Amino acid sequence: MIPQTQAEQALGFTLPTRRLEDWKWTDLRRLIDKSYGAVGKADSKTIDRLVEAAPLKHLHAKRLVIVNGVVDDVRSRVDGLLLSDNAPAIEHEDPLLALNDKLNAKTVSVAFSDNYDRPIEILHVSTGGNFAIASRLHIAVADDASAQVIETFVGEGDYLNNPVTTISIGKGARLDHVKIETESPTAHHLSHVIVQLAAKATYNDFTLTSGAQVNRQNATIEYFGEYGNVRVAGAYLLKGAQHADTRLVVDHKVPHCTSREMFKCVMNDKSRGIFQGKVIVRKNAQKTDGKQSSHALLLSETAEFDAKPELEIYADDVVCGHGTTCGDLNHDHLFYLKSRGIPEAEARNMLVQAFVAEAFETVENEALREALMGMVEAWLG
Amino acid sequence: MLEIKNLHVRLAEEKREIIKGLYLSVKAGEVHAIMGPNGSGKSTLSYVLSGREGYEVTEGSVIFKGDNLLEMEADKRAAAGVFLAFQYPIEIPGVATMQFLKVALNAQRKARGEKELSIPDFMRLVKERAAQLNISQDMLKRPVNVGFSGGEKKRAEILQMAVLEPSLCVLDETDSGLDIDALRVVADGVNALRSPDRAMIVITHYQRLLDYIVPDHVHVLSDGRIVKSGGKELALELEAHGYADIVGKAA
Repeated sequence: MIPQTQAEQALGFTLPTRRLEDWKWTDLRRLIDKSYGAVGKADSKTIDRLVEAAPLKHLHAKRLVIVNGVVDDVRSRVDGLLLSDNAPAIEHEDPLLALNDKLNAKTVSVAFSDNYDRPIEILHVSTGGNFAIASRLHIAVADDASAQVIETFVGEGDYLNNPVTTISIGKGARLDHVKIETESPTAHHLSHVIVQLAAKATYNDFTLTSGAQVNRQNATIEYFGEYGNVRVAGAYLLKGAQHADTRLVVDHKVPHCTSREMFKCVMNDKSRGIFQGKVIVRKNAQKTDGKQSSHALLLSETAEFDAKPELEIYADDVVCGHGTTCGDLNHDHLFYLKSRGIPEAEARNMLVQAFVAEAFETVENEALREALMGMVEAWLG
Repeated sequence: MLEIKNLHVRLAEEKREIIKGLYLSVKAGEVHAIMGPNGSGKSTLSYVLSGREGYEVTEGSVIFKGDNLLEMEADKRAAAGVFLAFQYPIEIPGVATMQFLKVALNAQRKARGEKELSIPDFMRLVKERAAQLNISQDMLKRPVNVGFSGGEKKRAEILQMAVLEPSLCVLDETDSGLDIDALRVVADGVNALRSPDRAMIVITHYQRLLDYIVPDHVHVLSDGRIVKSGGKELALELEAHGYADIVGKAA
């Protein structure tokens, strides 16, 4: 038994280390060096300021605000939303799910029983001194219903945030899920999303990762009915010494489902991006159509990208593939833009935006896509 | 407008000299054709004029409108009025053609201290120029050069030229990969841009293009030097007898 680190003692929890295959690039025992403890009182003015500055406030009407893991009734505008504290038990095992239990995450559940054409935002606001924050969100989309949910993470100060989201999408239902991770630059963000699809369900997912010092985002997507359709996309915008690791498992349990994964990762300075994508095709999941790709753009000599694509296929009549690329900006592209009078800095920014833009294609809401593009522009400065 | 004196250029990596003492004087309103066999340095000349990295000027000077062109970054050269129509136009996924044209035009205007063009004025300008070159709205909606045929790419280069209105156009093998109909469209586009205050350098391997874009001067480039200059009849002579005759004599 290795003695617990100070951080582990404070959490009362043993963190995963690189000795576990899934954690080989994200050794939390080493990466979490602060002693996070119980959530104390948060400063009301700071929260107001964070809510006010949240990136998408111009987009939509309804918003559920979760402050340090707990629903904030005063700051939320949720009239007409079906909220409860019921959520199904999670059957998976994973250190981040165990941590969520350990931290006694409060559950909030949002149910959609109809077609909602306007997005709902769930704004996670975190702040405080060395708080270990956890939340448990459940999103249920009833048969034939549809919804758009945006989860936005903002924060200030030092904290660990461990949000766990479970999503169930009914028969013929559809969920468009966008996650904008712009946590405090000194925070640790450790999330897990579990998505379960019924027959003919559609799940479109996009995650922008540009906040927090250390990110570990796990996602588990499972098909329980035929003809399910999943698109998962993501973009990293990392700089300084940021670390972002996505571990995505897409589990084709039944036949005739499709999955598309597209990650575009931009790393500057000494930042490090990691993409671990696994596609499982179970024995009876014939006619599965799965494609995965991750592409990295390194803007500095010291940035790093690691990718581990895995295909685990037990069926024999499937179409599956994966691809990974990693490189710096294309010099021919840069020269072409400059030769037309576009200054170097502007040309570089145009090419970074063009690189990232491909991942935005899963976001069908045009206003939201534009807002995301604006965030890329702001990141580029 | 352009004065090239004793230009020596080598590849920065290989240290191999490509251009070995080139002189060329181009006045406003003139069209100069530069012909020559493969490997004579034609494309290198176009890249050195437009400011591509990877080439090292070891000797000589290039003065453009009184300024030392070689000291300017590629984007500054473009703003000053130099335009290179690429032999192989670059595909840039994710950058919309219209957006690219707008950013380029406004960057140049800004660099020259002019006001940016309003969106309606810009749209009108592009629409009008695109129509002259048989460029569809659909092509303008696509990312820069992505999925364009060879002919479409060359027409798109000429469209950029027509929108940006440079004072020195360098056309690098604009005829390569074009069938006769496409060649005519491109040549008409180029001819429409001929004006007393604009000069052109037409780099080509074949005389064919010069039937449509009739030059004032023709130069033969061989082994990094201009070995013969003359009027448009020199191109016909080359077509009839090949390069070997002239190149042989010079050597």
